[in-house]
Amino acid sequence: MPHHQMHGSGSFRARLVRLFPRWFRNQLLASLLLNCAALAAFCLPLWYAWNNQIEEGRTDLILADARRLAADFRARGVDTLATRIHDRVGSNLNDTQQVIQLLAPDGARVAGNLPYVPPGAYQPNTGYAFRIEQQGRTKILSMALAELPGGYHLWVGRDTTRYVALERIFILGMGGSALIVFLFSAITAARTRRTMLNRVQAIDRTTAAIVGGDLSQRLHPAHADEEFDMLTGTLNGMLDQIVNLIQNVRHASNAIAHDLRTPLTELRSSLEHLSITRPPPEPTFDAIDHTIADVDRVIAIFNAIMRLAEIDSGTRRAGFKAFDLGRLIGEAVEFYAPVAEEAGIGLNHLGADGLMVRGDPLLVAQAIGNLIDNALKYAGSGSTIRIGASRDAGQVIIGVADNGPGIAPPYRDKVAERFFRLDQSRASPGAGLGLALVQAVAHLHGGALLLSDNGPGLRAAFMLKADSAELTPPEAA
Amino acid sequence: MKILIIEDNERVAGFLIKGLREAGHTTEHADNGRDGMYLAAGEKYDAVIMDRMLPGGIDGLTIIATLRSTGNKVPILILSALSDVDDRILGLKSGGDDYLAKPFAFGELLARLDALLRRSQDAMADNLLVLDDLALDRRSHKVTRGGKPLNLQTREFKLLEYLMRHANQVVTRTMLLENLWDYNFDPQSNVIDVHISKLRQKIDAGTSRPLLKTIRNAGYMLTSEQ
Repeated sequence: MPHHQMHGSGSFRARLVRLFPRWFRNQLLASLLLNCAALAAFCLPLWYAWNNQIEEGRTDLILADARRLAADFRARGVDTLATRIHDRVGSNLNDTQQVIQLLAPDGARVAGNLPYVPPGAYQPNTGYAFRIEQQGRTKILSMALAELPGGYHLWVGRDTTRYVALERIFILGMGGSALIVFLFSAITAARTRRTMLNRVQAIDRTTAAIVGGDLSQRLHPAHADEEFDMLTGTLNGMLDQIVNLIQNVRHASNAIAHDLRTPLTELRSSLEHLSITRPPPEPTFDAIDHTIADVDRVIAIFNAIMRLAEIDSGTRRAGFKAFDLGRLIGEAVEFYAPVAEEAGIGLNHLGADGLMVRGDPLLVAQAIGNLIDNALKYAGSGSTIRIGASRDAGQVIIGVADNGPGIAPPYRDKVAERFFRLDQSRASPGAGLGLALVQAVAHLHGGALLLSDNGPGLRAAFMLKADSAELTPPEAA
Repeated sequence: MKILIIEDNERVAGFLIKGLREAGHTTEHADNGRDGMYLAAGEKYDAVIMDRMLPGGIDGLTIIATLRSTGNKVPILILSALSDVDDRILGLKSGGDDYLAKPFAFGELLARLDALLRRSQDAMADNLLVLDDLALDRRSHKVTRGGKPLNLQTREFKLLEYLMRHANQVVTRTMLLENLWDYNFDPQSNVIDVHISKLRQKIDAGTSRPLLKTIRNAGYMLTSEQ
């Protein structure tokens, strides 16, 4: 099987990948490229200076030399020049740095130490680089040609073979620097990798313990590398949130169980009682009516939970539309007015005409209804409830304030929790989901529910995020 | 009236059949979508009670959409365990006339069914509604009891108008909430009861024959029968 054959190379590859994971290789490559770029930025101008300035200067010198020799030739003739050339450079290339060659019009050598002219067409007064093979050694010559009267040609130049070595040293130096840079990059990368690995392993160990069920574990910031401390902070925040959620779920489950168990217990015992005692028809029907009321309580709690779940899922956002909040509040106030009147509570609508909001009008109406309902339940006879709405810096605040007994500060944050009920409210109907629904609706609209002291009483601020761009009044319909 | 029940749950169907027969209706029952579709399309009924999720490969909404596309205007009450607002909207959009979520109270179902059955006979254009010696004029917004003018607030007037339109029918609290206030949630307090009792004080106070009656476990009824 091909799988079998690949196994060896596969495991080697795997080991290679483990030793040099992709990010490590990437980092190495990046650091290498960066360093090479820096090296090149340093060396290239040097190289350019070398080539242009030095080579050009040399060519100038050679040409000047050639001109001097040409002047000699014109003044004293070919023999004198030949003698002079012989005196200066002899006839062997190895003897001197200087290279001179005088050629007769037929191309025959008159004097000089250039063994031969490589084939090619040459222009006068131009520098050429000759590669001359002589006695098994390669010579690099820098040469220039001068044309003399009578068809004579004069080659003048320098032996630059020793500069080749210099060049080689230069290139070697560059390669060496690159190698050093590479080594440093590798070491740095490896060190970084080890540090990171240690940190990640620490995070990994802690999270593994948390996954294993020990929710009290937290990551410890190293105070050394800010990035990791940032990550650690985020992870710890996430863990706190998870613990919170788990506690909420546990709390909610307990509360649901409690709130459902009570009516279910009553229901069960009354049915059992009927079954055992077999009373005459009239009391039986009364008892049945009671049990139906118990079932309705269970259904109401169930519906409230379902409604909360529906809001939490955020699907209702798809149906957001612009609506007149002032009108919505007006209708809610009107709806509850008879109840307030009966309870001897004043219900004042402060007016918010034409305040357009984008959202789910049904849910906002229910939330406002719940706030008014709460105030009516707890503010007490003789109190006054004021309801108003205003737009303020990107959000719309709906305020429902009463001057009743209010809620003690330690409980203010708690009452919006699901199924939380203050002891004094246990007796009144409801499942402890009213304010939770208000809060969920506020969250759905990008806002929040804020409970504060109204001195005396409770002030509930129900905030909605308002993106004014979309808040054009709907067409008159 | 002849009612078709399309409901796969045997106990719920049996309960509906028994209750509707006691209320004086005749019923037919289909326990799957295929039979339901066949009966609804082939026979003439005064109303259909339709479950949404049905066995037999055809669901309730498909039956409704098919019936409506063939021009069948039979009133349909959707009865479903899917109770989200979106489900309700979808049900009504696909051609259902009313939507009741399970679990339901039979009184609620009967009241809604009655409203559906009488909708076709309803003369919406009537501007003068009269019941016994109670009269309501929609144009002049005047209400009189035994010739004596009553002073009603706007909301009380709307409430009375709705009750008079459905005179001799049971009207449930949720029907009032949905139709008069557009609220499809359950207000935690007994707000509707308070509205009704205020209205009752205005129209029935001091008379020997109260018209606005409370129907136990269901809702209210405006009727001259004692």
